[in-house]
Amino acid sequence: MTTRTITIANRGNATYAVDAKKPLLDSLRDQGVDLPYGCKYGGCITCAAKLIEGEVNQKAQVALNNRQINDGYVILCVARPLSDCTFDIGVESHDRLYRNPFLDPLEPHELKADIATTKDQ
Amino acid sequence: MSETCCGPGYASPAEAMKAPREKVLYTIAIYTGTGIQKPDYLCTIDADPDSPTYSQVISRLEMPGIGDELHHMGWNACSSCHDDASMERKYLIVPGVRSTNLHIVDCGTDPRNPKLHKVIDGAEIKAKTNLSAPHTVHCLGSDIIISMLGDAKGNAPGGYLHLNKDFEIVGRWEESMGDIKFGYDFWYQPRHNVMVSSEWAAPNTFMPGFDLEEVGHLKYGREIHLWDFEKKEPKQTFYLGEDGLIPLEVRFHHDPDSSHGFVGAALSANIIHWWKDAAGEWQWEKIIDVENEPHPEWPIPVPGVISVILLSMDDRFLYLCNWLHGDIRQYDISDPHRPVLTGQVWMGGLLGKAPEVNGVKVTGGPQMIQLSLDGKRLYVTTSLFSTWDNQFYPEIRTNGGCMLMVNCDTDNGGMEIDPDFVVDFGREPNGPSRCHETRYPGGDCTSDIWI
Ligand code: FES
Repeated sequence: MTTRTITIANRGNATYAVDAKKPLLDSLRDQGVDLPYGCKYGGCITCAAKLIEGEVNQKAQVALNNRQINDGYVILCVARPLSDCTFDIGVESHDRLYRNPFLDPLEPHELKADIATTKDQ
Repeated sequence: MSETCCGPGYASPAEAMKAPREKVLYTIAIYTGTGIQKPDYLCTIDADPDSPTYSQVISRLEMPGIGDELHHMGWNACSSCHDDASMERKYLIVPGVRSTNLHIVDCGTDPRNPKLHKVIDGAEIKAKTNLSAPHTVHCLGSDIIISMLGDAKGNAPGGYLHLNKDFEIVGRWEESMGDIKFGYDFWYQPRHNVMVSSEWAAPNTFMPGFDLEEVGHLKYGREIHLWDFEKKEPKQTFYLGEDGLIPLEVRFHHDPDSSHGFVGAALSANIIHWWKDAAGEWQWEKIIDVENEPHPEWPIPVPGVISVILLSMDDRFLYLCNWLHGDIRQYDISDPHRPVLTGQVWMGGLLGKAPEVNGVKVTGGPQMIQLSLDGKRLYVTTSLFSTWDNQFYPEIRTNGGCMLMVNCDTDNGGMEIDPDFVVDFGREPNGPSRCHETRYPGGDCTSDIWI
């Protein structure tokens, strides 16, 4: 089993050793981290956390648009760590997750992956 | 008609209006998406003005897990089985939109202190029916059908879950979804062999929050569907287009002989009316168009966002809420083609017209409403959906939602916020929660259907 170390910055930099093949939500909850969740299949955003450092595979998520991904959000219920990672968790990490859609529209490349256009360079 | 009766509900809408006044209310309150790691719960609220605990939460039933997002709910039985003495309006079916869990709550044994009777696990529903994201619950004789907005992976259009009266999964109710793209609310009118369903979006689209741009990419609904109710398949679609963006709550007249019904198009902020004409053809028209309102800090005018509509038991008044504007309106729809605005009150909203009511800061806008059977008291809550609340009213995290009551003049029309009733969910024991749909033990204006 490949193990990664996950650091939770906004929980006093607590660290957890997790199986690289398991979704982060399961691994962390199994070790007693109190995390929000809803659908558990990557569609509802409830479990989002902010990645501060490291890399994850979250291809199975369908909740985030490209702006949220660029802002570092990770859907923990489907994400697997590709490296050691540091996160902020819970709603305190959601400062950039929600926006008023009328006041702060998305650019075409910031939409969800299935409808986003590629950004002109 | 009802000589054999002592089943639930009432022989007719007129009989329902004579029922005793509601003494308790059941209202959903959520912690999902608030940052408080506690289960969502069902509140029992004292609505008896002679009681010392009037206008207070008198009991709280926590769900077994966190993250359900309780939303809408429905009774196991209504006036559709009034003639069936073996049935009883005893259980509320309380679904979790995010978890797909169905909670069956016994409200009959002790109406002031409901208890969890059974949970149907979301995983079981997904495995047996490939459905998720339960929304509207209607009973159908002794059976129960629930609109499910997605497949097991949260893709549209989902379908309808069929439960028997013992709350066992029968399977999918519908024979076919036809070309329907999305699900949301539904209501049926058996004497016309018709059901009408509306469209929100795929769970994977609406649950994470509202990206306005996705409306243009056709990720949100703009059609309503008429079903052959006996054949359980759609037979006709009305394309509402720009007039009907995101059609949500569906209400038929309570009069079982009437073919008239209404849907509120949330984003277009219109009311759409349908009916069967003299030639037997179904028709639709737009009857109410809420203008967008200017906002000092917005570059564009604010749409009303009609999140709910409701008809009084006598079908005379239509109520609607503009969740972003902050007003509730009462229209006399005695002539359903020509509604007349007869009342309006303000609470919360983005336009700043009523930031505080009855000493409580209203965060959010008028959202879910429930009317007393006699049509005189309208109970209002302020939260829409956790992620959407977080986008439009972020202060709701710390303030919580609230419930108010509006007194409605059923003779001349008109509405007034009751000065003595307010439930502040910002002061709940586990921290600020958000209140949503309300039901009464004796049935209410969005439950009962007559066969
Ligand atoms: S729990 Fe729904 S996206 Fe993770």
